[in-house]
Formats: sequence, structure tokens, C-alpha cells
Amino acid sequence: MAKDRSSRLQGRLALAFGGALLLYALWPWLPVPGRAATPRTVVFYGFSILGEAMNEDVLPAFARSWRRATGERVEFVTAFAGSGTVTNQLILGVPAQCALLSLELDAERLAAAGVVPPGSWRRFPHGGVVNRTPFVIVVRKGNPKRIHDFADLARPGVRVVHPDPLTSGGANWAILAEYGAAARRAPSRAREAGFQALLGVWHNVSAQAASARAARTQFENGFGDALVTYEQDVIEDAAEGTLPGAIIYPASTVLSEHTLVVIDKNIAPAERPVIDALVKFLWSDEAQRLFVKRGFRSVDERLNAGNPAFGTIRDPFLVADFGGWQRVKREIVDGIWKDRVMREVGK
Amino acid sequence: MSIRLEDLSKSFGGLPVVKSASLEVRESELFVLLGASGSGKSTILRMIAGLSNPDSGRVWLRGRDVTALSPQARGIGFVFQNYSIFRHMSVGENVEFPLKIRKVAPAERARRREEILDRVGLGGFGNRQAHQLSGGQQQRVALARALVHEPSVLLLDEPFGALDAKIRSQLRRSLKEIQKQLGVTTILVTHDQEEAFELADRVGLMERGELLEVGEPESLYARPHTLFGATFLGAGTVLVGRARGGFAQLGPLALPIPPEVEHEEDARVRVLFRPEQVTLSAAPPESGVRVLGQGTIVERSFLGALRRVRVRLPPIPGARQASPALYGEEGLLVDAVLPAEEDIETPEVWVGLRGWHILAPPRPRLLVCDLPDQESPAPFSLVRELLEPLDATASLLAVTADADEVEPLGARLSERAVGEGLPEAEPIVRRGDAAEEIAGEQSQNLYDFLLLSVPSDGSAGILMELLENLATPLLAVRGNPPLFRRILICTAVGEPGKADVRTGGWLARRLGSEVTLLHVPLGDAEPAPYVRTHLEAGLSTLRALEVRGRTALRPARTPVQGILAEAAEGGYDLIVLGRHAPRSGERFRRDDVTLQILGSSGKSVLIVPANQ
Amino acid sequence: MIVRRGRATIPVGILVLVLLPLILMPIAAVFVFAFRGGPVAFVEALRTEDAQFALRFSLLIAFLTAAINAVLGTYAAYVLAKHRFPGERPLAIAINLPVAIPTVVVGTSLLLLWGPIGLFGKALEPLGIQPMFTAAGVLLAHLFVTFPYMLGAVKPLLDELEVTYEEAAYTLGAGKWQTFRWVILPALRGGLFSGTLLTFAHSLGEFGATVMVSGNLRLRTQTAPLYIFAQFEAGNVAQANAVAAVLAALSFAIFFFLLRYSGGKRS
Repeated sequence: MAKDRSSRLQGRLALAFGGALLLYALWPWLPVPGRAATPRTVVFYGFSILGEAMNEDVLPAFARSWRRATGERVEFVTAFAGSGTVTNQLILGVPAQCALLSLELDAERLAAAGVVPPGSWRRFPHGGVVNRTPFVIVVRKGNPKRIHDFADLARPGVRVVHPDPLTSGGANWAILAEYGAAARRAPSRAREAGFQALLGVWHNVSAQAASARAARTQFENGFGDALVTYEQDVIEDAAEGTLPGAIIYPASTVLSEHTLVVIDKNIAPAERPVIDALVKFLWSDEAQRLFVKRGFRSVDERLNAGNPAFGTIRDPFLVADFGGWQRVKREIVDGIWKDRVMREVGK
Repeated sequence: MSIRLEDLSKSFGGLPVVKSASLEVRESELFVLLGASGSGKSTILRMIAGLSNPDSGRVWLRGRDVTALSPQARGIGFVFQNYSIFRHMSVGENVEFPLKIRKVAPAERARRREEILDRVGLGGFGNRQAHQLSGGQQQRVALARALVHEPSVLLLDEPFGALDAKIRSQLRRSLKEIQKQLGVTTILVTHDQEEAFELADRVGLMERGELLEVGEPESLYARPHTLFGATFLGAGTVLVGRARGGFAQLGPLALPIPPEVEHEEDARVRVLFRPEQVTLSAAPPESGVRVLGQGTIVERSFLGALRRVRVRLPPIPGARQASPALYGEEGLLVDAVLPAEEDIETPEVWVGLRGWHILAPPRPRLLVCDLPDQESPAPFSLVRELLEPLDATASLLAVTADADEVEPLGARLSERAVGEGLPEAEPIVRRGDAAEEIAGEQSQNLYDFLLLSVPSDGSAGILMELLENLATPLLAVRGNPPLFRRILICTAVGEPGKADVRTGGWLARRLGSEVTLLHVPLGDAEPAPYVRTHLEAGLSTLRALEVRGRTALRPARTPVQGILAEAAEGGYDLIVLGRHAPRSGERFRRDDVTLQILGSSGKSVLIVPANQ
Repeated sequence: MIVRRGRATIPVGILVLVLLPLILMPIAAVFVFAFRGGPVAFVEALRTEDAQFALRFSLLIAFLTAAINAVLGTYAAYVLAKHRFPGERPLAIAINLPVAIPTVVVGTSLLLLWGPIGLFGKALEPLGIQPMFTAAGVLLAHLFVTFPYMLGAVKPLLDELEVTYEEAAYTLGAGKWQTFRWVILPALRGGLFSGTLLTFAHSLGEFGATVMVSGNLRLRTQTAPLYIFAQFEAGNVAQANAVAAVLAALSFAIFFFLLRYSGGKRS
């Protein structure tokens, strides 16, 4: 019978434990007096590297200014993932009201799927581009493989960590950077030079991650000798010395441009003023300074001096220099990288 | 009346399991349903409990029709073979369960629990768990649980089946005691004859869904009506002889038939003698004992107080064994018991009879074959009219090759049978080739007559196949004729001639028809004297059957011509033909007499194989 | 016959060597990494709003999933064990299928069915109902994915009960509901307990289907496993590990109860 009592005690303990868990889980939803009413919420989706800048600086700053202006609390529900992933989720119907994508091409996919009206983002300042960042190379400390430019990534024995162009907007930018740098150096035979450059780099790609952020995590966990990524993603850690590597600025690279889309059908009329204010706020000096502080380059060149860590790039270029994303996608990403390079690498 | 069953029937998947069972069980009686497994006895019990719904019929408990009530509303107690003690409850909780359901107050519950546990001999076991008990104890708990709410009837389904012999007999005694003390009306189902005899006030004997006999154990044992009753209830030997002048004739031995046993002259008679009615002696027994013959001891077994001895007697003409019939055994086997201390040293012994019992004559059974692809359906109205005068039962057989057709065909057959006034007839559907399935059904159930329609064009088709294989009288009916008033028996000299006179005469007696015995002498020759003798013997057989008969001689070039001429002129309804029993490998010739008569006479024909 | 028991050192050693990198070390690693920054950092990592929400949300979904599937699974097991009907086998297989299908596929198909562009989703949209990317969608996915566990725990017990068990209760005067409540259900207690715990545990750890249908919205539909993944991807290994350690500890607790129970039953 003693055994009986101990097993009953155990049963009570288990029950108490389960009850405690349930109480803990339910706590925030319990109607405790004095708890604030639910604030306004805005659902904001963004591509991976935006996460900290938005969650910690820009969106709280907006919430403060909105509160000052209207007295209302606004809360943000955010999700950050590879730009392609975000786009796919938007197409499948996540209830986001705003999304900041890492390339205009994803915005065009949204338009094609009927999520936003075609070209609606061009109504915004700077054609919808909120901020920029150049593509750089991150190497191991002391640069043991002596990598100084994209061309060096093609050397035998160099292992490159690269985001996956299928899900990552950053990867598409990286392809344009690698191609463009070579093409601009040999304008007479631009296509061939670009193809050779891409082939060289992609021969050495040893790991592909779903997003630029994930690629960096892989690199930090010891994969590869070099990482192709956004300057923004690594600049802060580099300045603080916590980056397990060093940033190499290529002589010529692309400045990625990040496009804002607003999904009108997910916005209730009552929420319209908040969203409009948020959109306006993103291009305000306050927000742009915060982006610069977080390592993004502002669309307003004057503000870029605000971050001394920015390195110099001798020959920066934009996607417009190659005819816009539609054309780059068709001719370079699909036409050269996918159809030629990947086929060659796959052999 | 405590329990009354009215025409309960139940089938599973088209197979009848209980056939129109009716029964009355008296107040406080312990009634035992006895039968082999699959005989339908448990199904009857489950229908009384409401665990199974009858297809037709009614169940009455204490004057209340409970047929439509759920089990929980019937107020019964039920004990299962596997005890079904609730494992998560203690013994006490199990026993209190029916009281708890009935919302009896806890104190009262405890009192009744202790009382009933005491009664089943498990006082103080209330706190035990079921798995701590032996099988016998578990069954006692089940019994206590079934009785604690004072049910109006107690039903037990093979309650001792899973126990070993010693525990079983202990439990039997307790059960009988408790049942008598409480006076609860009880039905117990078992396959164990010994158990039935020990417990029962009355026994109901079941076979293949039929409640064959009901009676007190002693009378059932001493005077069973059926062969099954004779053999299932204890050992015994059944020999088949013939009734002659008020005696059952077993070869040279004549045993008087008591006047209350209905019998017909020259009909088969079945005689049962129990082992204790058989005497064995080394020397010829003194007068007063009826002597069956001298035989050899083939088997001895020691049973404790008794010794069982099996003796083989050489074949006795005019007697054959009904039970125990052994394949390949030509002689007659007789079982006897002796006190164990008496033994017979000599292998050769005289077998005598101290007593015997004549079984009731079996009702003839007709197998009516309804062949769907045949243009004329089976003559159900004729069958209906035949059943009463023949005191026969009928089964209706349809055969299809199509598995999907089985059920609808059975439904149509039942519907037609009911429509034609044959609700008692048992519909059977078999799947496969018609001739094979008819033969299969016949060999499984040993009908006395086959009956089927012949097509009007006279094509023999399936008949040919049947005749090649069958040793049963076959009535080939043309159209849907009235009852047979004038019967023409075509008799040849020899064994087939005797068989067709006997069978035709029996039919004529039952139907009250006139009979003409026909012989066809070939050519113009004067018939030989032995033909006249044969015809005279035939007439005496008919007289013995109390049938009016006359003889006819019709010379012709072939027997067929003679028969056809007589049939055409005499206005007969039925022609009876004898045949040799089928011989293996035998094939019909186109000029076969039977086939020609069937094809050309335009009348119904009864074909009687010899050795009937 | 003489049975010689060999020295167990070598085979046990081999087993441990194989298990070490395969199972034991990863489990240990979760805790080691979670506490690398010291207990204060661990608690700080757990105290963030996101981590708290993720844990609470995961637990809530797990409680709901376990409660709903306990009822549904028991009912399904009862129907399957008790009734014989055409198509019984295919149905039994279909019900067990979620075990075999990759959870991501489950998520995808739920999305395609209930999402705004899906078959049901399209019909529901005019009504303003949008189950995907909400807590309801997560619950739906968890119910689907964990459905077979309850069935698997309860059905064998029901199959084991002889038919007459139920019939005995009927003949003793119990109605259908009384029979189920007092006779069948207590006999299933062990299965209900382990099935519910298993369902709870699987729901707590569910990732594949959740990641598809939740939209991974922080503070709204982000479950603990999604939070771990998101934090890890973002390079916040410490944050990820803190929550991972809590999840692992919860799983240990659940399996401890499961083992205690089944062990206790045997004695």
C-alpha cells in the first residue's frame, strides 16, 4: 500500500506540473485587471538582414513618433526570412501589410500574382528603394587565402559560402555583383567575361543557404573560406571586432536596392493612416539615419558620411546600369548563371 | 411461464443459425440447452439476453414481450464463458456494478455484495483484483455479479468451458445449489452431455439451429425421438431393420414394436440400445434374453467403475448400422458396458439385449431443385400439396454460377416460397455448377427425395448428370400437375423391380392413389412363370401397404414401346421406373429406357434406384 | 546446458561509442551551449518577449492539440475497433498516414487547401475567415500531424478487450454511455495517458508543418521550434539554445512520466 501512496503522489505531482505549464501558457491571455488594451498592430515582413534594424530601431522609432502624433500605441508583428521566401509567403496570403524586399524582382512577382498592383512601389520616393548596401566579400581573419576581389574567389581551393538564388534576393544581387565586376572591366566582351567570372566562383561554392543571414551563420560556424554578402550584414560586427573574419571591398561591386511594397488588400480602412505614416517615415531623415547607423547606405548620399565604417568602392554600379532587374534576371541570372554556369558546374 | 420463445429465427450472412425455435421454460427451472458447437444454442441465449436480434419470432420474459428491448432493460443476469470480469475494478466493485448502475445506496450495496459473495463461496474476497483470482474464482465472481441485482432469469453461456475437470464439477454443484436456493429461472448452454444431465431439470437438444427434442434428462436418454438424440446423449448403438407384423426385424431377431410407436409395414425401423442394455456372455445366454448374435471383441476400455467393450458382429442380412457407422466397416459394431470387475476373457462373445428403444420414424425430406435457367420453375404448388400427405419437410435449392447472384436469388426464392404457401420450406442457395451442387447438397444432408421440373421439350440435360451420380429417388415433374391419382409402376424382375414397387407403393399409400403394376414381355412370347410370381409378390407388397393395385401385361418389341403404350392409354399421372444404382464410370446411352420415357411420355416420372 | 555470460564490457563499450556522437552528445550540447554565457544570460535569453511568447504559444497549442486529439483519437479507435464495415482497412491506413507523410508536405497541402488561394480558403475568404497564418492554422496542422498517436495508443487496448466485455456491462443493466464511461474508458486509461503525452510532446516539437502554415509571425504564430530556427538563422545561437534547452527539458519530463507509467504498470 505504501507503493500505492507514492504512485498517487507522483500522479499528483505530474498533474500539478501540467497545471502549472497550462497556467504559464495561458497567462498573457488571462483577463487580469489593469492590463492594457490590445494596441494597433501592423504586420511587417522583411528580408533577412533587415531584422535587427527594423525590430530594434526603425519600427520602435516610428511607434514613438506615432504615439507623439496621435497618442495611439502601435505594435509590430514582424517576420524576416529570405526575400524569395517572404515573397512566396505573401503570394500564399500571409496577412502582411508592408514588406521590404531585397530586390525589385520579387515585387514584380507579387504584382504578377496579383498581390500588389504592378509598379505600385514606384509611386514611393526613390522608386520604392528604401536603402542600399554594396556586396562585399568576407574572408577569414588574416585573409589566409589572399582574396582581394571577386576574381580571387575563382582560384582553386577557395571554398565559397553563398546564399541560394532560388530563395534569397541577396544571392541574386551577389550574382549580379560577380558578373558586373568582370563585365565592367572588359566592356568589349562583357558577356563572356561575366560568364567566366561566375563559372569560376560557382565552381567553388561549397555551401548554399536559404537566405543571406543563413549563409552568414554558416560561415560563422566555420564553413568555407569566403562569404559573399551584404556589407550591412557584417559591418557592425567588423567595426566591433566580433566578426570572425574581415571585410574585403571589391574594386567594383553592385549596390543592392531594397524595395518597399504595401499590400493594400490587407489594410483595413482604419489602419490606412498608420501605414501611410509608416511609409512616409521610412524615407524620413530620422529613419534613414537609423538605417545608416545599422550599416545600410541611405538613398540620400549626404547621410552616408554618418557611418565611418563604410568602406570605399572604386567602381560601384546599380542594377539600372544593366537594364533593370527584369533584364538582369532574364539575361544574367537565368540566361547565364542558371542555364550555362549551373549546367557547367553540375557536370 | 418464466421464459417463452416463439418461433425464433436468426441467420448470419444468409446462413440460418436458429430455425424457428420455440420453447417454454418454467419458473425456477434450470434448463440446459445442449448441442454441438455451431448448433445455434448460444445464439438463442444471446437473443434471450438481447445481445442479438432475432430475424423473426418473439421473446417473452415473465409474461412481458421483450423482443424489442435492449439488453440493459431486460433485467437478466448473464455469465460468459470468458468471465469478462472488469479488470480495472476489484472483485467487490465488479459485484456492485449492477447495483451502482441501478443507483442502490452504498450501504445496501455493501450488504448485498457481501451476501452474494458469501453465497458463491468468495466471502472476504471483495478487495482482491481480478487477476489475483483463479479461473474458477473469476467465474464465481461473474456469477455473483450476474445475480446480485436479483435478475428474473439467469443465462449462462458455456460457463465452465474454460475450466479444468475438477473445478468444473465443483462449480457445477455450487451453481445447482445456488440456483435452487435463489429459485432463479436459469438457462445454461453447454456442449457437454454429462454437464447437461447433472444440472438440468430439463434438457433441450439442438442440432443445426433446430431445437430437436425437449425433455427431462432420463426420458431423453431412455426414449429419444431422433437419431441425433440417441447418439448425442450418451453412447449407444442404433441398428436399422424393417417393420414386419408389429416387430422390428433385425435379421433373424424380431423385437416387438410398442403400440405407441407409429410405424408402417415394411418401413425402415431404427432400434437403439444403450450399452447397459447389452449383455455379453461367453456361452449362449439362457432363454429370455434376445440374442443379437455372436461376435468378436474389438476394443476394451477401462472407465473406472465400468469397462466399455465394443463387439463386432458379422453382417446380418436385413440389418444395418445407423450409428456408430464407421467408414469401411462391414460388420455391426455394438457397444456394451460391464462392471469393471467382470471381464470376459474369450475374444468371441454372445451379444444379447436386455432392452431397447424404437426411434420415431423420421419425416421424409424433399429437396426441391429450382433451376433458374430452366423455362419451367419448380412446381411449388405440387410440393405444397405433397408435404401434408407425405408428412414431409421440404428444402428449396437454387444454384447459380454467379457469386453476386447468391443473395438476390435467395431473397427471390424465399419470397416465392412464401407466396406459394411454403413458408416452412428452407431456402438454400449454392454457388457453382447445378448438377454438382445438387449432388453436394444431397450427399451432405441425405434427403429422401429429389424433386425437379423437366423441360417440356424433354431434353434430359441436368437429369442425365444427376442420374449418373445419385442413389436417391428422383421425381421429375412435368409442368405443374395435380396430385398423382393413378400411378404406373413399371417393374422388371430383380432388385430394381422390388425397389420401385416399394417406393411407388409407399407414395400411393400416402396419396391414396391407384397403382398399376406393369410388365412388358418382349415379343409375343408367353411371360415366364417367374414373371407372374414377381408380379404377385408386388401385389402382396402393395396389399401390405394397403394400396389398391392391379397388374398389367403389355407385350411389345421393346420395354419402352410397352410402357409408352400403357402410359398413353391408362390415363396415368405418374410413371415409376426402377434403375440400377449408379455404377462408377457409367454413361448414358441415347437409348436408355429412363431417358426415352422421360422424353416421350409427357408425364411425370419417379426414378427409383435399387438398394434403396 | 551451461550458459556462459560473456563479459559485457566490449559490446557495451561499442554501443556507447556509437551512441555518443549520434544521440548523447547532441543532447548534452543543447544544455552546454544554452548555459555557455552563464545562468544570467540564459535567463535573459528566455525573458525576451519573443521567447516568452514562443514558449507560451507552443504550450498552448500542445495543450489544445492533446485535448482535442485525445477525444478524436479515442473516438476513431473505438469506431475502428468495434465496427466492421467495407473500406475499414483503407480508412485505418488513411488515418495513420500522417505518421508517414513528411510534415512539410502536410503543411504544404494544408496551405494549398485552406490558404487564401486554396479550395476551402477561397470559399472562406468572403466570410472573413482565414485559418492559415493564424493560431487556428497552427492548431489545424498540429491536430493533423499528431492524430495517429492517440489512435496508436488506444486502439491496441480496445482490440484486446473481448467483445463480451462490453456485452457483460449491457446485461448488468448499463446503457451505452454508462458502459463507455465506467467499463471501456477505465480499461483504456493507460493508453489515454500515454497517447495524450505523446501527442503533447509531438505537438510541442512540431516544426515542418508549422513552418508552412504559421507564416512564422513573431508574437503571433511563432512556436518555440520556429523561434529556435529563426534565432539560429539570425545568428543568435544563445537565444536559440536557451529555448531549445527548455523544450528539451520538457520532453525529458514527459518521457520520464511515460516511462514511469509503463514501468509501474508492469510490476
